Amino acid sequence: MLVHEFLACSARAKPEAIAVVQGKRRVSYEYLDRRADEIAVYLFRRGFKKGDRAGVCIDNSLEYLLAYFGILKAGGVVVPFSIQMGWRGIRKIIDDCRPTALFVQENVLQHARDAMCEGCSIADIVVVNPNERERSLSRPQTDFPSTVALRNMIGIEVGVVADWTPGVIREEDLALILYTSGTTGSPKGVMLSHRNLSSNAHSIVQYLNLTPHDKVLVVLPFFYSYGNSLLTTHVLAGGTLVIGENFVYPNLVLEQLVAEEVTGFSGVPTTFAILLHRSNIRRYQFPKVRYMTQAGGAMPPKHALELKQILPGVDIFIMYGQTEASARITFLEPGEIIRKAGSIGKAIPGVEVFIKREDGSEADVGERGELVACGSNIMEGYWNDPEGTARVLKPDGLHTGDMAWRDEESFLYVVGRKSEMIKSGAHRISPREIEEIILEVPGVHEVAVIGEKDEVLGESITAFVVIKEGAYLADKEILYYCKKNLPPFKIPKRILFSDHLPKTNSGKVKKHDLLCR
Amino acid sequence: MEVDNEIRSFLVENFLFGDTGVPLAGEDSLLQKGLIDSTGILEVVSFIEEKFGIAVEDNELVPENLDSISAIAKYVLRKQGVKV
Repeated sequence: MLVHEFLACSARAKPEAIAVVQGKRRVSYEYLDRRADEIAVYLFRRGFKKGDRAGVCIDNSLEYLLAYFGILKAGGVVVPFSIQMGWRGIRKIIDDCRPTALFVQENVLQHARDAMCEGCSIADIVVVNPNERERSLSRPQTDFPSTVALRNMIGIEVGVVADWTPGVIREEDLALILYTSGTTGSPKGVMLSHRNLSSNAHSIVQYLNLTPHDKVLVVLPFFYSYGNSLLTTHVLAGGTLVIGENFVYPNLVLEQLVAEEVTGFSGVPTTFAILLHRSNIRRYQFPKVRYMTQAGGAMPPKHALELKQILPGVDIFIMYGQTEASARITFLEPGEIIRKAGSIGKAIPGVEVFIKREDGSEADVGERGELVACGSNIMEGYWNDPEGTARVLKPDGLHTGDMAWRDEESFLYVVGRKSEMIKSGAHRISPREIEEIILEVPGVHEVAVIGEKDEVLGESITAFVVIKEGAYLADKEILYYCKKNLPPFKIPKRILFSDHLPKTNSGKVKKHDLLCR
Repeated sequence: MEVDNEIRSFLVENFLFGDTGVPLAGEDSLLQKGLIDSTGILEVVSFIEEKFGIAVEDNELVPENLDSISAIAKYVLRKQGVKV
């Protein structure tokens, strides 16, 4: 099934069902499908061809969805840009994948223009929600690039939609290029086909039991893998996407959870850390919420259990994946969250997972190795980077770069990134284990552990600790707790306090930046 | 005004990387200007708590109190018991 067929099928099944809620706007599936057709026709009439890339630099909104499905219906490849990128980031991606069209929200337009240079591939810019200044661009301009300003993406002069038929689009055709957040280096363009995204979406809908009655509150950006999977799964299921209030103010998000009678909520570890430590979540009741999902990094088991205590009637799904896997590789059944605390669960339907030694053989129960995944959800490769692709895509599957082990019941546990392992003395140490211990110290909000160059040990262990509001902690207290709970070679040499940890736009800690402090 | 200036200096140094050329009016929404994200707001909270000796309650983390320089300044003064 093609990704835009999720929308068309849901629109045929229940045309009046609400697809998107944004503030006071409530948009039906029929409307979304029809407007997306108009976007596709517009692109077609502007010379857009099957396989062409189109950038989308728009915040979570109806307009993002219109651009997304319109591009797909035209046979194109969606290339989402983070709206926080700046002109340098936009230019890098444009130079890399050479999109011919760009959908951009008006407050990012200047960055987009700054990113254009001689020989730029962009032929058309579509500006959404234009302000007064841009209204003069209501017709396509003849100068390069052509720029059209569209209020709410309607009123496009497309002529008759009925006389247009899309070309043949196949499941193996590319649908999306998602640029990774780059915690370990330059962002790479992950190529995802319709088949990759469709198989993953179907699998997630199955294990989350998503139905047309589900409404998910979206605070994660659509332009990253996790947010993208919320979009695809809920449109496939015929459910509703409720565009969340800005998570800068978590209490407003909680209000929205209640007011919109949302059934599901998804977050990364930082989302839940903020909800647990800096919001009034304990003062709310959420009678309609039936599930929450967590992915995008390892959430400390302590936080998962705290969440379960606050929300006893809610199914909490701990999930694991990578952009390279269209999002999801494993999930933990909600009923196992206490018994198997710290586990990422087992492979999702349609995916196989192995723990492999360096020599390619399978690791034994309890033995650490690299997590390797295979299935129809695994990416086609990195755009324009055959060497990078060959490093991770091998005959046995996607080499995730994550070190993990399997217990006797085949539940999986990730111990850390292969590249983050600290080599100290004769030991290979996972920072994650030390981080989880330090997080147990009352008063600790967040922690990141890195290895620093050491003349004697090769690398020594340093922990950057963020303390909770109002708490007081000395490094000696943390070290004392580590001594009680860790073997000597895992005790940090230094504890450094910080008021925050540097993070990527998707909330992952930038450990490389800590190295430079 | 002093409170306003302290807040402005903090924001310029930590979120605009010292670029005083970026226009930032007292009433400008920090959210709409893209200056602040969900972890950035916690840095602002830490700063005003330490600088002005106040405690920000979880239920006070709302745009009315924190979404512009002038909103933050008025909030700080109210918390200090100064009539605004």
